[in-house]
Amino acid sequence: MHILVIKLLPLRRIDVIATLLFMKTLLSLLFISLSFLVVAQKKATVSGYITDARSGEALGIARIFVQELKTGTVVNNYGFYSLTLPIGIYQIEYRCDGFVTIEKTIDLQANQTISLELEMAVQEVKDIRVSGKRSDNVNSAKLGQMELKMDQVKTLPAFMGEVDVVKTLQLLPGVSSVSEGGQGFYVRGGGPDQNLVLLDEGVVYNAAHLFGFFSVFNADAINSVNLIKGGMPANYGGRLSSVLEVNMNEGNLKKFKVKGGIGAISSRLTIEGPLKKDRGSFVVSARRTYIDLLVKAALSDTSPFAGSGYFFYDLNAKLNYKLTDKDRIYLSAYYGKDIFSFKDNNGGFQVEMPWGNGIAALRWNHLFTSKLFMNTTLSVSDYDFEFASTQDEFRIALTSGIRDYTAKVDFSYFPNPKHRIKWGAAYIYHDFTPTSLSAQNDTIVFNTGVAQHLYSHETAVYALDEFDVNEALRINAGLRYSTFTHVGPFDRYIKGDGISTLDSVVSYDRGDIIAFYQGLEPRFSFRYLLPDNSSIKGGYAYNYQYVHLVTLSAVSLPTDIWFPSTDKAKPEQGFQTSLGYFRNFAKDRYEASVEVYYKGMKNLIEFKEGALPGDNVNDNTDNLLVYGDGWAYGAEFFLKKTSGAFTGWIGYTWAKTERRFPDINEGNNYPAKYDRRHDLNLVGMYKLNDTWTFGASFIYATGNTLTLPASWYVQDQNLLFQYGPRNSTRMAPYHRLDLSATRYGKAYKTKTDPATGQDIQVKKAYRSNWSFSVYNVYNRLNPFFLYVDNNGDFMSGNFSLSIKQVSLFPIIPSVTWNFEF
Amino acid sequence: MELRILKYSTFFFSIALLWSCTKEVQIDIPGYQEQLVVDGRIETGQPAIVLLSKSANVYSSTNFDSYLNSFVDDAIVVLSDGTQTDTLTKICTDDLPPGFEQIAAGIFGIPAEILVNLHLCAYVSLNMLGEVGKTYTLQIAHEGKQYAASSKILDPVALDSLYWKPEGNFTDRGFSWAQLTDPNNTADAYLWEVKYLQDFQFSKTFNPYFNDKFFNGLTFDFAYENPMSFQDTTSINDYRGYFKQGDTIVVKMSKLGLKEYNYFEKKYNQIFSGGSPFAVPTNIPTNIEGGALGIWVAYSPWVDTLVCN
Repeated sequence: MHILVIKLLPLRRIDVIATLLFMKTLLSLLFISLSFLVVAQKKATVSGYITDARSGEALGIARIFVQELKTGTVVNNYGFYSLTLPIGIYQIEYRCDGFVTIEKTIDLQANQTISLELEMAVQEVKDIRVSGKRSDNVNSAKLGQMELKMDQVKTLPAFMGEVDVVKTLQLLPGVSSVSEGGQGFYVRGGGPDQNLVLLDEGVVYNAAHLFGFFSVFNADAINSVNLIKGGMPANYGGRLSSVLEVNMNEGNLKKFKVKGGIGAISSRLTIEGPLKKDRGSFVVSARRTYIDLLVKAALSDTSPFAGSGYFFYDLNAKLNYKLTDKDRIYLSAYYGKDIFSFKDNNGGFQVEMPWGNGIAALRWNHLFTSKLFMNTTLSVSDYDFEFASTQDEFRIALTSGIRDYTAKVDFSYFPNPKHRIKWGAAYIYHDFTPTSLSAQNDTIVFNTGVAQHLYSHETAVYALDEFDVNEALRINAGLRYSTFTHVGPFDRYIKGDGISTLDSVVSYDRGDIIAFYQGLEPRFSFRYLLPDNSSIKGGYAYNYQYVHLVTLSAVSLPTDIWFPSTDKAKPEQGFQTSLGYFRNFAKDRYEASVEVYYKGMKNLIEFKEGALPGDNVNDNTDNLLVYGDGWAYGAEFFLKKTSGAFTGWIGYTWAKTERRFPDINEGNNYPAKYDRRHDLNLVGMYKLNDTWTFGASFIYATGNTLTLPASWYVQDQNLLFQYGPRNSTRMAPYHRLDLSATRYGKAYKTKTDPATGQDIQVKKAYRSNWSFSVYNVYNRLNPFFLYVDNNGDFMSGNFSLSIKQVSLFPIIPSVTWNFEF
Repeated sequence: MELRILKYSTFFFSIALLWSCTKEVQIDIPGYQEQLVVDGRIETGQPAIVLLSKSANVYSSTNFDSYLNSFVDDAIVVLSDGTQTDTLTKICTDDLPPGFEQIAAGIFGIPAEILVNLHLCAYVSLNMLGEVGKTYTLQIAHEGKQYAASSKILDPVALDSLYWKPEGNFTDRGFSWAQLTDPNNTADAYLWEVKYLQDFQFSKTFNPYFNDKFFNGLTFDFAYENPMSFQDTTSINDYRGYFKQGDTIVVKMSKLGLKEYNYFEKKYNQIFSGGSPFAVPTNIPTNIEGGALGIWVAYSPWVDTLVCN
């Protein structure tokens, strides 16, 4: 690994040059290696797309299996597959969970295109599946990868009736929530910023609404969710811990459909349909909460808090169009906003706090040959936060944000069933505004400095090959090379002591290179099949992360600041190595796994002790940061039942994660704030009949750590506290049981077939269901945070100190009505 | 000023408490160690006054006796200005020189009639008064440990003007206003105190310390509230914070060093965040070397009188 910092170099695009040189070398090596794949035997390729017969949408989790060769492949996210086989006659199975398997006999003498539409199994929720790839548990070389289908997510208990993919992910081993009801998630001891969250390949910087209690992902707009928590393949990068891929519905290619839901705090509506039948489609999905309307109804116009309220909304839209048999474009967009307002009319105090994401992604799929697939993505991601406070004539506004422009291209090459090769390149232009502050008192405008923008270029190239060495051993080996360049304009503030040495500023012009970093990121994983339907998997991944999230608070808030690498803030680097044993039982109805991992991280970032939000006025944010290392290790145990009327899983994680910062906690090691020794999740879904489905989830987790005062003292008649070591106090364990019941209306109606005169079952155009959930069934007061409360005064003899625990959510029942037609 | 405008952590904390359920818990909090607490100050024309006490476990007794017992009266405290040295005199409340009762009451925050029956001690430099431009070094010996701190009396900064005006719908109540031209090219920090003309002690406002981060070199007007009104139980709530038309008040704006300001900034940050989880738990950075808590600070005051008309 090489780290190079270059200051004040003349304008020179060394990042681009370095990337191009490396890419050239990488591709040369790739094609040299591919030349060895050429064999004398004559071959032909069968390829095509697998889609859902109801809607024409791609089935991104379908599998293709060749009986005679005992081999096969999986489709990519766009439903495309390619198999190159020796010429001959084959029996090929096209499978997808929840759909009727199609078997086809093909006489493969020349390249063939076979695109198929799979029919949904008669009863949609007959077999609730936990994972889309049952046999992948043993067969795949992917480590720590979990997929969720929305049909499954929707049967689980929902907090306040809001179906939430992120909360479901938090029920998986190795994934934990940041706090009660929190949206942020930690994966194997990494921070919440170490998860790359992608919505249709556009980066989501803040995936939460309502201070983190709801995710930005509207369940009606989401098709599938894929989490990679270990062994990240080389086509992903930029984060240390995990990748969360969320794919939006594509829209029905065959007919117009409407679906929606009315819940306790929000409602949603989705409309989809063909732009041109079987050629192009659209989907638009909107959601809005009405907490503000409820609050408005509860507050009279004369209330001192009249005008206070909160709401969020989000809008998902997607278009896709098949230009030719080899070209398809997708346009995806998301826009969501939270708006919080608080008014104390008596006190003349007012707060306005809006924040939100905007994402747009344009993708172009092109099939060069039946073996070579390309996806090109252009996307823009934007996140903005504002906090404006007015007290009488004094007003202050604080804003922060980030905007990314991304271009990337990914190639998939399928030379034969033994090799699945990918390569590609990516470029991101970052524009960060860590904090911009303005303050005004009546007509006086205070000098709060110029809003600082930090501009940077991030590039990456990669290549990987997943190949079968023999029937037992599969290897996924890849290499990623990434660069990051911080460029001007930029002002570097150099702080004096204010008396003998004054502050000074070094200014960089547009295009000046302030810092340059580059690194090689090797990725490797393997699977070795054992005879008893089990396998051993292992992996190693090295990652660079060039953007960081720094927080002033002990819990995640929209006020957290995204910050890029600079000459002072080095890129985070981390590696993860993991090893697991995977086994299926009872004809694959049960899947089990044990994984152990160790993760090392360096150049982690925190604010200095005592830093305040306004400290970077006329200063650089990175002057307020300190840097340190971290490490995490643990073991994850997972057992799930994947089919039948009753499905579900048990996950248990034993883990430890620590940090060491020279400038925090006197340089001593301390547990990360989300260090959890034990984490147990029990999840069950039971389909009683066609009408009723029940769900339950139970969580037990060691309490989060926090820092509390160990002693008190008095100075100038003020009570003050001296805190104990960082994160040395542990809150009470967290446990909670949630239940759900879903009542489905009849999906089919009986109709007389005019041709035969016989009664037949016809799917109803209009369907609905009622979803009932109870959150925190036994009303456990789980700790959200603790604080020291003091009451009374010494003079009156009634002074007291006590530790108070704040709990947010008691038992909360909810009901949601969902419909579609 | 920063504390007034940037306490969104406190804001989140308040909202969370409104929403939530709270109960008292007993939980292990490691890391307690008893430490000496220094509360010392000197200002132009005044002697140094140093109070010494000890920190207590957060779970320890919090009755009045435990508070009284936390004060230290067996230390040796020495003050030096670089040329002169003065061993501070221990003056205790049960043996006060005549006329010192009100001063002591102000220092300890305990009514004089109660204070004279207690044994609380302060260390006072009877032979040395503060002078502008001098750096004062404090040395403390206690229970075999040595502690030291320095602070300089800087040049004072004068206000351009001081005035009063009615606030809002009131015609006879309002804040005190001042115009300040902040010195350019230096980072400056100030303490704002006020008292009625007839009062003995100055009172601190709600957020009395501020620096010129936002207004370095600017001329601007700003207002401060009446801190005494919050102690006045006869005043109706609507009048709290305001000066009454006709009041005569004395304003003291003292300049202090940046390291000392850093202590007070973090101190008030801790007070206002009140243990909120939305703020980073921060120990207040002392300028005392040797492992003690607290502050030794030199002030450079500028004093003016305002008749509220």
